[in-house]
Amino acid sequence: MTRHHPDSLILMEYSAGNLSEAHAVCIRLHLDKCSHCRSRVDSLDSLGAVMMEQQAQVSVSESMFDSILARIDQQPPEVMPEPKPPRQDLLTKLLGNDLNGLPWKKQLGDVSLLDITERFPGQKDRVVLQKLCAGGKAPVHTHRGDETTVVLQGAFCDNRGVFNQWDFVVLGQEDEHKPVALEGDDCITLSVLSAPLKLTGTFTRLLNPFIR
Amino acid sequence: MTTLDQKPSRAEGRKDPWSLLLEKVGKSQDRQAYHALFEHFAPQLKYYAMANGMASHAEELVQEVFVSIWRRSCLYDWRKAAASTWIFTIARNQRIDMLRKMQRTSAEMPIETEDLWQIPGEDDNQPVTSLHRLMSERRVRESLKHLPEEQITVIAKVYMENKSHQMVANELDIPLGTVKSRVRLALNKLKVILQDQNV
Repeated sequence: MTRHHPDSLILMEYSAGNLSEAHAVCIRLHLDKCSHCRSRVDSLDSLGAVMMEQQAQVSVSESMFDSILARIDQQPPEVMPEPKPPRQDLLTKLLGNDLNGLPWKKQLGDVSLLDITERFPGQKDRVVLQKLCAGGKAPVHTHRGDETTVVLQGAFCDNRGVFNQWDFVVLGQEDEHKPVALEGDDCITLSVLSAPLKLTGTFTRLLNPFIR
Repeated sequence: MTTLDQKPSRAEGRKDPWSLLLEKVGKSQDRQAYHALFEHFAPQLKYYAMANGMASHAEELVQEVFVSIWRRSCLYDWRKAAASTWIFTIARNQRIDMLRKMQRTSAEMPIETEDLWQIPGEDDNQPVTSLHRLMSERRVRESLKHLPEEQITVIAKVYMENKSHQMVANELDIPLGTVKSRVRLALNKLKVILQDQNV
């Protein structure tokens, strides 16, 4: 049971289609397991529809409708919709079936890291997977810029409470925390680090959300 | 949760005219119904495309959305979303798709737009039709009438111009916190905020 949900402002940016792909991945993974938030997104999608309906309208030519009909008629019938095969699970599509078997890079202490930023080409967010071994502790740290996290496996706790699988949390600069993985499974999280607003100088240090 | 399936006759009465038309397109490829949808929604979609900065591709976006409406209409289920909400989500996704195609480098993304942003009713995980979902559009339209202009302006910029809260703050020259509190107040009235736990 997820207990930590995206706040409505982020869901609104998601519904409007304004989030980066990496942020949308975090939201989608949560939504797939949280009917409560799905129904919030439904309301927000309705808000989008009503906003669209209430704006000024721009006239379109009747000839556009003819071109649309022409395109539809060009479609050979066999390309017309048939029930699509069930979608592959987003997480599997992104990371395969074996999270534990990914090429993790061991960091200090109980932490391992895998940077998957290059799977999201053309954007500025940094995307990392983090693994804290069962019962392991990460050093106390703060965050540089916003860090959006969704728990993929296991659970961790910090001063804000317990974060279970599919829980969603955004930590900001002011949040200092010291995550501890619960016993049982290694805790694996997916985090998106928003690009800092100001990047000065050459900044080569690996951004590690657990250790910074 | 109340399922509408238990009350079919009452639920029938909740269909709006656009959803009825869209259903006709889906069931019998009714071109008159399709044309009526075009006349109603195409001008909205064109505004949407122009407002969010795709002016040079505005007509292309409207066409893509309508071709997509035709192809997907057989999947449309009025119990899962009103026609206008369904069409809005298609437009949003087409816009994201076009932007992704323009920005795409040689590295291919394995993830498709619809893995991330779903169209209501095409999601197998949602078998239950809730009264809440069906009513949400009507409720939103009703409560929007009572929102102050400054809140509507902010929401319109987010949805129509696709600006982040930060960009809206910069443009209106007000603090980010003010933008966020206007959105929160509005969403509260629209009852979208039910149980924000991280606030």
